[in-house]
Amino acid sequence: MKLGEFNEAQIGAALAASFLLFNVIFWAYPFVWLVILSFSDWRFFDVPTFSGARNIVAVLGDLEFWRSLWNVMRFLIYYVPIVLACSLAFAFGLKHIGRGKVFIALCFLLAHISSGVAYSLVFEKIFSSTGPLNSFLLEWFGFTIPWLSSPTMAMLSISLVVTWKFVGYYGLILYSGLAAIPPEIYDAAKLDNTKPLKRLFRITLPMINAQLVMVLVFAITVAFGIFTEPYMMTGGGPMESTNMPMLVIYETAFNRLQPGRAALMAIIIAIISYAVLKLMRKVLEKNVELV
Amino acid sequence: MKKISHIIVIFSSLLVGGCSGSDQKAKAAPEGKVIRLWVAPDESQEAFWKVVVARWNESGLGMPVAFETIPAVESSEKAILTALVAGNAPDISTNIFSGFATQLVALGQLQDLSVMAGYPELIAHRRMEKIIQGWDQGGKKYVFPLYSNPTLIWWRMDILQKLGIDDVPRTYDDVYKLSEKYAALDQKYGMQLITGKNWYDRWYDFISLYYAASGGAPYITDGKASYDNAAGLSVLTFMETIFKREWTALDFESDDPLTTGLVVGGVRGPWSIPFFERLYPQTLEKIVVGPMIVLREGQGKTFTFADSKGLVLFKNSKVKEEAFAFLSWVLSQDEYSLLWLEKTSLPPARGDLMENAIFRAFYDTHPLARQYAAYVDVALPSAFIENTIDVQKTMGYEMVEPVKFGTKAPKDALADAVRRTNKLLDTVN
Repeated sequence: MKLGEFNEAQIGAALAASFLLFNVIFWAYPFVWLVILSFSDWRFFDVPTFSGARNIVAVLGDLEFWRSLWNVMRFLIYYVPIVLACSLAFAFGLKHIGRGKVFIALCFLLAHISSGVAYSLVFEKIFSSTGPLNSFLLEWFGFTIPWLSSPTMAMLSISLVVTWKFVGYYGLILYSGLAAIPPEIYDAAKLDNTKPLKRLFRITLPMINAQLVMVLVFAITVAFGIFTEPYMMTGGGPMESTNMPMLVIYETAFNRLQPGRAALMAIIIAIISYAVLKLMRKVLEKNVELV
Repeated sequence: MKKISHIIVIFSSLLVGGCSGSDQKAKAAPEGKVIRLWVAPDESQEAFWKVVVARWNESGLGMPVAFETIPAVESSEKAILTALVAGNAPDISTNIFSGFATQLVALGQLQDLSVMAGYPELIAHRRMEKIIQGWDQGGKKYVFPLYSNPTLIWWRMDILQKLGIDDVPRTYDDVYKLSEKYAALDQKYGMQLITGKNWYDRWYDFISLYYAASGGAPYITDGKASYDNAAGLSVLTFMETIFKREWTALDFESDDPLTTGLVVGGVRGPWSIPFFERLYPQTLEKIVVGPMIVLREGQGKTFTFADSKGLVLFKNSKVKEEAFAFLSWVLSQDEYSLLWLEKTSLPPARGDLMENAIFRAFYDTHPLARQYAAYVDVALPSAFIENTIDVQKTMGYEMVEPVKFGTKAPKDALADAVRRTNKLLDTVN
């Protein structure tokens, strides 16, 4: 049988099969194992035994876990406005740059591909109470900021670092949206004497709704999955203020040797993050069409 | 083509030859025919094992040994656990602290060393009877302590002299006085009080100070937190005073504050000696070592924490007897204890460090190391509990950090930390 003799459906099924196989191995199998594990008592070395509702009761009563979920919300409160504002600024800037656009975009993207451990160590030193940033502030303005050592400031500092990492990536997504807006719309708005701020809120932002929602989806996913930055920079402190769910899951699985409870936590996190994403999309996603 | 294959052969031989020592030859031996040893990922400790393993393998006294450093993952504990789960664990591993040993015992992974042939003789030879008592786990000895690092306080003598102080501070009042003087200068602090943000940093701040204040009382007794007492309160009140008066920074993550002269003193272990010798020799010349500070000076030496680590033999090893024979050979020879000292500056866990003539010459020429050796007998390891990490994180979250930020009074912070720790210990037990 020659290639031309396969019908479209058969080729499509063959292509889809590879994707399905990939998902069975790397998604379905771990997920099924995760569910089994969440109802098991296991300490890595022994045979897993059925735990009944023990893990559920333990996780529901684990204050550290619920505090870490609250920390996700705190992170989002800082991170979303900062990263959206910075990414939009980057996208607008890129749109107005004539030469060197690719070079500038690459410079910003470098942060995205940098090693999380490496830049966390660098930022830890920069943000130290006695570090270069505070030395500069003290010398020029006479005060210091407890960037990582205050329970209030530490989450903001981590948000700033994560923003630095993602601003280029999100910015490019938003830039693609900006570039797709037909210039005639702005010309018409100018003829109508529409002010810049009104153009932003009435034309630009609605026209890049799809990109904004996409960035928000990524930002929320980051918030639930963040690990390296708090682990390296604050260790979850001070006073548990940056203790994120991934840290708690990691500690539970590998330090407390309770992989069953950690698995259940992971499932709960997945469900909550999915619900938050659904809610966000329901509230913010608009079907924008150019007629 | 022939030339290329020659080049490949020569290059491969160089590559293999470059890695080969007697220890590496042993590595190539089939399983069960070689003793696999994991050593701490530390340059100086690796240098010690390289010498002794090579000598053992050359001597032909027993089964050859292959050593490698514990794989570089986040921590030794993770690497060892991963290897155990994967069935790829070595026969012997060094770098085991008390809490991790307890965890491994609970998981049934360690061999009781006290039943091995030659164990009592080894303990007697190294005069370790008193030291080994601190490592007892239900009458069994799963860990052989290799070294015991007392924590002491390093002081910048040049700064002390500038402030008109001739002796190292010994009490909280001494620290208050010097802090007041030094902090009056621009952007300076008296002492580095909090070592860092990690759970293990509590060993070097609260636990060290607590052992000193309590005369060596344990902070966990019979599965319950036992530091809610006068000693614990005195330590936290001292911390509160220092932070309230801004005599220390909230953190010193940027540079070592002793080298920059930002502080006059800070808790350090003997591992800092080779580090400073290499990177900050000029600062090291100005350092004097003092005991842990206390509320009121008592008689005799002040207790302190011992960052003590040992080696273990894994239960699943197929060459337990052979492995212990190798250990006995290394650990029973005084010249290797001296070699350890010379390579690492870490006091070997022995009860005769100050009396045995073999160490005299070393300590005569290394005064800082001598001071650490003098405190080995009053340096206590951390509690033998499975959840060391959680217990010490709780100390940080509920006690040290709230006192640091002034959100809790020392008394309340103590009570909260003890309550949460006990709840945690109850859940596990």
